[in-house]
Amino acid sequence: MATATRAEHTLKRMMTGVKSPAGITITASITAGILGALDNGFFVIVNTIVTGGMWALVAMGLALVFGVMNVVSFVHGEFFLIGSLTAYFTFTPFTDYLMDKPHPIPEALLPLLAMLAAVIAGALVGVLCELLVFRPLRKRTREQWVMNSFVITVGLSTFLVNSSQLIFGTDFRGIVAYWNYPTLSFFNVYISFDRFFVFILAMAVLGAFWLFMKSSRFGQAIRAVSQDETGARMVGININVIQTLTLALSSALAALAGACLLFMYPAYPTVGLGPLYNSWFIVILAGMANVAGAAVGAFVVALLQVLTAVYFGEGWEYAVPAACIILVLMIRPSGIFGSEVRGILDQ
Amino acid sequence: MSMHEPALLQVKDLDSGYGFLQVLWQVSLHVRRGEFVCLVGPNGAGKSTFLKSVAGLVTPMAGRIEFNGRPVERLPGDKICRLGISYISEELNLFAGMTVQENLAMGAFSIEDRHKAAQTRDFVFELFPALKERRKQLAGTMSGGERKMLAIGRGLMSSPSLLLVDEPSLGLAPQMTAAVFRALKTLKQKGVTILLVEQNVTKTLQATDRGYVLEKGKIVLEGASGDLSRNAHVRKAYLGI
Repeated sequence: MATATRAEHTLKRMMTGVKSPAGITITASITAGILGALDNGFFVIVNTIVTGGMWALVAMGLALVFGVMNVVSFVHGEFFLIGSLTAYFTFTPFTDYLMDKPHPIPEALLPLLAMLAAVIAGALVGVLCELLVFRPLRKRTREQWVMNSFVITVGLSTFLVNSSQLIFGTDFRGIVAYWNYPTLSFFNVYISFDRFFVFILAMAVLGAFWLFMKSSRFGQAIRAVSQDETGARMVGININVIQTLTLALSSALAALAGACLLFMYPAYPTVGLGPLYNSWFIVILAGMANVAGAAVGAFVVALLQVLTAVYFGEGWEYAVPAACIILVLMIRPSGIFGSEVRGILDQ
Repeated sequence: MSMHEPALLQVKDLDSGYGFLQVLWQVSLHVRRGEFVCLVGPNGAGKSTFLKSVAGLVTPMAGRIEFNGRPVERLPGDKICRLGISYISEELNLFAGMTVQENLAMGAFSIEDRHKAAQTRDFVFELFPALKERRKQLAGTMSGGERKMLAIGRGLMSSPSLLLVDEPSLGLAPQMTAAVFRALKTLKQKGVTILLVEQNVTKTLQATDRGYVLEKGKIVLEGASGDLSRNAHVRKAYLGI
């Protein structure tokens, strides 16, 4: 008897979960994905999860920065740019060298080195932004922090885009592929090793990030600051340290995405715009400051874009999600996954 | 506990407030080790501002705050906490999206020793058994009384030598208020030094050793709690006699 009622209870809970706005969106997305795949082939789903994984990395950082620092960041795309530039300048000199003296082990490891370099560069720039820009601003701002910091991120973005143009010029600096391995095939869908690896990496990073936020001391402190800054200070958490860590983490994630997607998005001064718009779509859809929602929302937006490209043609993939977001904001201003309790990982 | 022993908390001529708004004027107060002291006064007298100034959440305009003989008036809140002062605010400032257990763990953020933190947690569960039952529940979904208990529990997790408690009875049913006061008395017996801010003057003067009366940002009376409850001004203004 007890098990029967428990099963009933679980079913009931699942049904209310499905009926919630988040549940409806996820169910509808999965259905749309399956229908799209049946209609056009399995590549719809493969493309969705590969790009979705990357947008998740970028969007999570954006949600994190909003949740912990209350910064509406428009400089996030430039961290993506820094990642792709760093990866390019780490990867290409060594590739030229390896062309002369081929060796399988350095060839396999070099892309990982480029990605690691991008993560480190991203984190460093994040720390610099906090120390040189946000912290002085925080000391001077008493009211209007959200507006002030928003304007400063726009300025910072312009500054970084123009500096990159000044230093590196306006050339497209891209690569064909990180690894020259044969293409993999799943269910008659061909996928390059790069794409496959990048997806696996994104999933691993998402998992590691989740664990970090849930169970590490500093991850929990980040969540605590996002939920109640005064409370965090009261239990002995140094807010400055947490804010620096947050910006470093979020910019490192964006830089990693920039490095991982170098074979799709070559480095050039305004390469960050696309990822920035995408992650804003995702964050607005998911609900500001909702990191877990951003991870899920990334796949929803990726699917929306893949289906748009298939049915409306390339070039519409920013217009359709933007239209959807206007709809979402009209019906549910707090976002689909938005909740009463303010917290970055928590419903 | 001789009179010559330096006080655990010594506040001298404190001016404090927010921006251009000065709330406290020349407030002097001290709390000796092991004492249970209260600060009472009407709404808007500046009681909470006083506790926030000590806790490092409001920067004083002038005056001295010494804790264990060390000046702390310029230190930020997180450093104050690490020195051994726990502040339990009126708003509680709980982490609403975290469970009871996680909130308590965050309370021990400044404690490196995990074994010690676990011991303190067991003590908190002993003090408030309701928290143990609800340890997996999100703080934001609990009732007012339970949230108050959690806030006190979280404040205890850093093993403070001084506990600052702001209006624990506010918005609580009489039964809950009694439970909170019982817990505070138990803590005093365990040797925790407490500075309590309250509007429930009757109960507070019964429970505490010594008290201060704050009106319009100034200390107007001080003395043993028993003497205060017999004072004509206190009886007229706060006890309604």
